[in-house]
Amino acid sequence: MRKLHRAALLCVAAAVSLTACAAGSGNQAGQSGPAAAPGRDDEFSLTVWSNYSGREQDEVTKALESFKQKFPNAEIKHEGSQDDDKITAGIRGGNPPDVALSFTTDNIGQFCSSGSFADLKPYLARDAVDLDQITDAVRAYTEYKGTRCAMPMLSDVYGLYYNKDMLAEAGITAPPKTTAELLDFAKRTTKKAADGSIEVAGFLPSMPHYANNPQIWAPHFGAKWEGADGKSGLASPEWAQMLQFQKELVDFYGHDALERFRAGLGQQYSTDHAFHQRKIAMMVDGEYRTAFLADQAPDVRFGTAPFPTSKPELYGTGFTAGTIMGIPKGAKNPGAAWELIKHLSFDTEAIIGLANGIKNIPHTKAALTDPRLEVDENFKTFIDLATSDKLQGNPVTPIGDAHIKSISDFATSWQSGKVPDLMAGLAEVDRRIDDQIAKSGK
Amino acid sequence: MTAAVGVRERPFAWRKTVDWVAVHSLGLALGLMFTLPIVFVFLTAVMSDGQAFTEDLWPREWHWGNFLEVFERAPLLKYLGNSLLYSSLATAGMLISSIPAAYALAKLRWRGRNVVFLLVVGAMMLPPQVVAVPLYDTWSSLGLTGTLWPLIAPYFLFDAFSIFLLRQFILTIPQSYVDAARVDGCGEFQAMLRIVVPMARPGIAATALFCFLYTWNDYFGPLLYTSEKPDQWTLSLALSTFKGMHHVQWNLAMAVTLLIMVPAVVLFAFAQRSFVKGITFTGVKG
Amino acid sequence: MTATLERVDVVRTAPAKGRSRARTRHRLTVLAFLAPAILGFALFFGYPLIATIGFSFTRYDLINPPEWVGGENYAYMFADPLFRTAVYNTLWFVVVLTAARVVFALGVASVIARLKSGVGLVRTLCYLPSLAPPVAATLVFFLVMRPNEGPLDAFLGWFGIEGPLWFADPVWAKPGIAAVVLWVSGDLMIILLAAILDVPQEQYEAAELDGAGPVRRWWHVTLPSISPVLVFGVVNSIILALQLFTQAVVAGSAASGSADVTGSTKVLGFPENSTLTFPVWLYTQGFRYFDMGYAAAMATVLFVISFAATAVLVQRMRKATHQEQS
Repeated sequence: MRKLHRAALLCVAAAVSLTACAAGSGNQAGQSGPAAAPGRDDEFSLTVWSNYSGREQDEVTKALESFKQKFPNAEIKHEGSQDDDKITAGIRGGNPPDVALSFTTDNIGQFCSSGSFADLKPYLARDAVDLDQITDAVRAYTEYKGTRCAMPMLSDVYGLYYNKDMLAEAGITAPPKTTAELLDFAKRTTKKAADGSIEVAGFLPSMPHYANNPQIWAPHFGAKWEGADGKSGLASPEWAQMLQFQKELVDFYGHDALERFRAGLGQQYSTDHAFHQRKIAMMVDGEYRTAFLADQAPDVRFGTAPFPTSKPELYGTGFTAGTIMGIPKGAKNPGAAWELIKHLSFDTEAIIGLANGIKNIPHTKAALTDPRLEVDENFKTFIDLATSDKLQGNPVTPIGDAHIKSISDFATSWQSGKVPDLMAGLAEVDRRIDDQIAKSGK
Repeated sequence: MTAAVGVRERPFAWRKTVDWVAVHSLGLALGLMFTLPIVFVFLTAVMSDGQAFTEDLWPREWHWGNFLEVFERAPLLKYLGNSLLYSSLATAGMLISSIPAAYALAKLRWRGRNVVFLLVVGAMMLPPQVVAVPLYDTWSSLGLTGTLWPLIAPYFLFDAFSIFLLRQFILTIPQSYVDAARVDGCGEFQAMLRIVVPMARPGIAATALFCFLYTWNDYFGPLLYTSEKPDQWTLSLALSTFKGMHHVQWNLAMAVTLLIMVPAVVLFAFAQRSFVKGITFTGVKG
Repeated sequence: MTATLERVDVVRTAPAKGRSRARTRHRLTVLAFLAPAILGFALFFGYPLIATIGFSFTRYDLINPPEWVGGENYAYMFADPLFRTAVYNTLWFVVVLTAARVVFALGVASVIARLKSGVGLVRTLCYLPSLAPPVAATLVFFLVMRPNEGPLDAFLGWFGIEGPLWFADPVWAKPGIAAVVLWVSGDLMIILLAAILDVPQEQYEAAELDGAGPVRRWWHVTLPSISPVLVFGVVNSIILALQLFTQAVVAGSAASGSADVTGSTKVLGFPENSTLTFPVWLYTQGFRYFDMGYAAAMATVLFVISFAATAVLVQRMRKATHQEQS
């Protein structure tokens, strides 16, 4: 028995040290200042991973190719359909791309704190980059606790979409500005069948569904993720207000009727999306929806506006997130990778070309106001939101989106009436999030 | 006497007819139950993109071109080649490594045999996620991630499920045949090759087919090891590219599903006879 | 078993010196037969398993070297409510899915076995679905079982039944996934069918002479003869239930209305974590929340439990076979 014990311990030690070695090797970036930039005519090749596919991937490739104006002999290999799991695996395997594009701003806390993405500070200092060119909320979601390990590549801004015909039919002339109005308009635009089933929902309160996620709703209620003590602060009047708003609407529809209605709706990014099908009158969504609507449902007459808020002084706020770019640990050519990132971060022409191509919001102040940016009436709402200073970025933690899942799970039980005490429930969610963060040791 | 028999037999015959009708309609119902979703897949595959995912089940227009379009969207032939490479090499490797192991577990007597058998069953039970991280580290330190080798190589050494299945089969071959071979002066290797392998052919065919189909449909493995190298993708992994980032194209996804199934169906049709016979003997005998 | 023992002894009746040499040679033979398997087991199970057990005592974010934290990860299991949910969900599948799969496959096989014509056709039709990749099979069921508009609800509508929300209802999501697994359980069906067809005809005839009807014949003749295969079915189904991952992720993700088939973390387990199986939660913690230490602890627990279950099962199997033989 004792012998076995010792053998087991030995094995554990061996295994741990083995993997530690594997994970530790291949670390070059960020050790001794910035890697040197390539010369203008140098021949080099860069691998870029992103999670784009199809038409969007082609547009991004086009933007990447514009890098050749600065470095004519550069070769860029763009691999699509690579999610964060793959980026992490690539870094672990010592075989990462030179530049990684990630969709999920949720993981930036991990990327920065673990060193998965190289700290960009030395590069920013060397090249005297002025970060003020980037809007504040975007700056906030691309760094973690003062470590900037990523740069933004365009952003998404969320606002209200409303079907003009459906609102007019209910005698409503202007989109709602307060959540109280939203509640009222939602009830007035809803159509129920004789048996109580929903035919048209004014506004869907179900969470999670489409863009109905807690982090997207929170800014409109002034709800903050962190309390004054730096711990999770969901047990607050603002979060409670948000959930009560949700519950009131759920009760109006009836939970079962609502679930049945929702389960029959099309997928978020398909042509059968409920808004395209005129099954919902209002919703929160990102600016990219304007392109989908123009493409897939040109007959739907819709308008956009900032999403209603619980207090009038909050009006004009909104949620923002976006694609981030970083230099993964172990990248073969970090110096050139930084040049590419810098190009996509600050070259107004490249940013505008890409923004026009995939219909996202530029992340620099210069590009936002550039006349070459194609802006129609509905897209303008989001540009205006982006240029205001009221946007809220994605909450950044070292635990992926565990915190979002916790509150999202809670909202689901709450809307089905399974939570007796709202504040106690929120306090429990806080405890869970704090536990998970404490466990991460960061 | 004859009258009595007649009286007794008539209801019996009647009962038999009812029985026949009942069993056959049940069989028909089962056949339909299993097949209807596939019919549904087929109908969706030939719909327009706009019609898929609606209440309308019958294609308004028959878009046979969908089956061609998927070839334009993705290099399916390349993926087919990768899938074939993975499945056939894995199956070949499995046969080379698992038959001797199964033979040793079934027909040789040695101390610790039961423990080893238990380990085989334990390995079979382990979810692949459990060992994914250390294995991924090993393969990446060998520089082999991004290829199919981390998926293929293990089959040349050890595949728990196949060893288990083959052992169960070889157990049912009477010991006397093996002993007779030994008396004739055959070594164990020859006894295995000359006596057990031919007798176990149906079981081996069945195990090989299971192995082939498992690797053919494997999703987790190729995703983990090859997703950053699109030229190494297998068909089942390629299926996910038809989800699109912003748009699930149900009709194309279903068309690819059918195309992926075709080689498997063909293989099953050919192997069916020996396969079905083979499993006959794989009863679990400790 | 006993027969084997005697025969080996016969082979071994040789002079004392030769016997020990023969024994050494015998051992070497065994070793030669098992060499690849031993190497493979050590490389692909032994080493990673030990490494995993090692990680379970560390804090490990996959990038930086693991940091020793003792039993912290194990203690956290008690504080993690989703750990309990995941255990419950997986246990549900182990119990319900195993029973349903074996009974269902046995039922289908028994019906097919009694067919006088069309056996080959029906057998092929029943096996066909298991050739579909798991991701595709789950998506197919998601489409077929779509509330209100899917073909299944349309069918139920003919009988005036309003179907449940299936994958969108926390009560019905697990049965929905079970249905997918049953649909693709053609392999077990075929194994059982072959076993049933293999029962010697004389045994039925003897039973019939004793006046046994079809039901009693099935109960007293068919069932006992195929019991070893049934045990195989149970083991095979338990493995399937313990490892249930792809179907759960795809079903949850599709039902939530999310476009991402491989599952964004927020919708894993949708609806209300009813599809959050143990492997799904393990994967989420390890790869999405970057807590490989905790994931490794969960893996270790899973391994210990399934290994214990295996040992018990193998014991049972052996007993069942002995009874069978006597």
